[in-house]
Amino acid sequence: MRDNELIRCEGVWKVYNEGRPYEVRALEDVSLRIQRGSFTLFSGPSGSGKTTLMCIIGTIHRPSRGGVYLNGKDISGFSDAALSRIRRERIGFVFQNFNLIPKLSAWENTAAPIIPLCVTERERRQRALQLLNRLGLMERAHHRPEELSGGEQQRVAIARALINDPEIIILDEPTSNIDVENISLLIGILEDLRAKGKTILASSHDESMLKRADLIFELRRGHLTGIRTP
Amino acid sequence: MKNALLPFIKHINLLYTATGNILRHKLRSMVVVLCLIAVLFPFISSVAVLEGVKAQSVISVDEGADIYVTMDLYGKNGVIPIETAGEIKKIEGVVRAVPRVIGRTYIEGRLAVLSGISDDEKPPSLNFIKGSPPGSGEVVIGKALADELKLNIGSSLSIGVRIFAIVDHRPYILKKVYRISGIFDSRSGIWTSRLVMMRMDDLIAMFEMEGFVTDIAVYIRPGSEVSVTEALQRMNPYFRIQTKGLVKSYIERGFNMRGGIFLILYTVAFALAVPAILVSSGFGLSDRKKEIGILKASGWQTHEVMEMVFFENLMLAIAGASAAFILSFIWVRLLNGFFIAQIFIAEAGSMPPFPVPSRFMPLPFILSFFFALILTIVGGMYSTWKTAIVPPAEALR
Repeated sequence: MRDNELIRCEGVWKVYNEGRPYEVRALEDVSLRIQRGSFTLFSGPSGSGKTTLMCIIGTIHRPSRGGVYLNGKDISGFSDAALSRIRRERIGFVFQNFNLIPKLSAWENTAAPIIPLCVTERERRQRALQLLNRLGLMERAHHRPEELSGGEQQRVAIARALINDPEIIILDEPTSNIDVENISLLIGILEDLRAKGKTILASSHDESMLKRADLIFELRRGHLTGIRTP
Repeated sequence: MKNALLPFIKHINLLYTATGNILRHKLRSMVVVLCLIAVLFPFISSVAVLEGVKAQSVISVDEGADIYVTMDLYGKNGVIPIETAGEIKKIEGVVRAVPRVIGRTYIEGRLAVLSGISDDEKPPSLNFIKGSPPGSGEVVIGKALADELKLNIGSSLSIGVRIFAIVDHRPYILKKVYRISGIFDSRSGIWTSRLVMMRMDDLIAMFEMEGFVTDIAVYIRPGSEVSVTEALQRMNPYFRIQTKGLVKSYIERGFNMRGGIFLILYTVAFALAVPAILVSSGFGLSDRKKEIGILKASGWQTHEVMEMVFFENLMLAIAGASAAFILSFIWVRLLNGFFIAQIFIAEAGSMPPFPVPSRFMPLPFILSFFFALILTIVGGMYSTWKTAIVPPAEALR
């Protein structure tokens, strides 16, 4: 392991319906390294495997073959409970479609990850409201997702990802469902997080995002086809 | 205080969230509770009526004689000479020996119980008569019979006594006509609903059994049952002697058999209800699946998801069982067991004309709660567990 290396993928494969006629190879032999505190971008056309790779790194999916190393430890064979612990303590994931719980308000969605912790309801609410305030959503704290715009929903999803103060933040296509104004707001948030030493992984085609990344991994049809800097 | 609660805060949070989920998913919660009520309400109501009837039967046996003596007639109860009562009275330990006449007949196609009362023995049911006790040539009849035959005080009642001829395969029945002097009112209980009570000598005459009665009720001093029974056996080896304990065991066995048959039928219904609850608690399953995926993706452990869903099911089970219990109580006590009572009381009909006896015991309620919990757990927990153990990305797909 190199000194500052946080994540390493070695020969990662993800095959859906393996051995069947309709087998899909989402990832094929992908190997990469991500430095702590960096802003890494995954680029590539739709269906290139970006989301699958980020889900595997984010431990919400398991690779079919290969190893995923976090701080030098191979986590690909970890139990469900151990992976949940990693997600709770170290990773915040922002989905492309935000995946907010429709019946919960913005603050309740934000605080959902810490419900099973020894945190009182008052403290939970306080932490969620602080985050929403930081992301400019204080006035929307008691609104349900259906009452929020796309950009606001995304910021709620970011707040939820940050509630446990994780060291890794993964954002799947964060610029695809929001307008230009919200993209610059998002970039501001990401730069702020990066300044605090967080490791950020995102997939995007947006130029303003590409410009700010430390490293860009290019994927095509499940293969890692290139690594470049902006 | 806060520190003491700290280990429990996580569980309190999950309970709180589960409560919120029940309230947020109103339709799903209501469907599950309604399904539970549909399954548990007949069970609780029926058991309450069964226990009530059983208890009333046992009480009536307890309040009755200690020993009943008849003659053995080819292994069946046969009539006994009326003067035997006088001889039995002389046995050491016997307090009273009361001759009784009891029989059954059909009055316009309806089964009725005929009972003769002697001057020595005034049954407590006589306190619940509208009208007056029967005199010679008079009867007091049960409310159910009076309602069905549209009879009132002063009406005439024709009772078929026996077939006196058969012509062309058609029986000709000898009938006797009595005046109705009174009607048992609704407080008199289930045993009088189809009772026809008359003077004992009238009933003896009707049954054409002069000098005989159907049985002799023997009341004894406490602790003398064995000696009196032995004395009776010595007096006449053809006596059929039935003690209170024996009668009680017959009654309990009869009710337990009815209860057993009901439970078998109920178990079948219960088995059919399981898939119904499975479907109803899977109501909105895709939303639930997504929610579980989101929670798991944000770091929830599988056991934490399961605990939250368990709390949801626990509360739904408590709500369903409690609602079923309250509805059963209203149905049996306030609506007098409308429709349900006839399962256990043949005379009741769909609208019982007498107060349906019932007993709401804690055990059926506890059982109902566990039934409800099993149903909701089978319905809700399994699907949750299946969703929670797959990688979150798959649950979210």
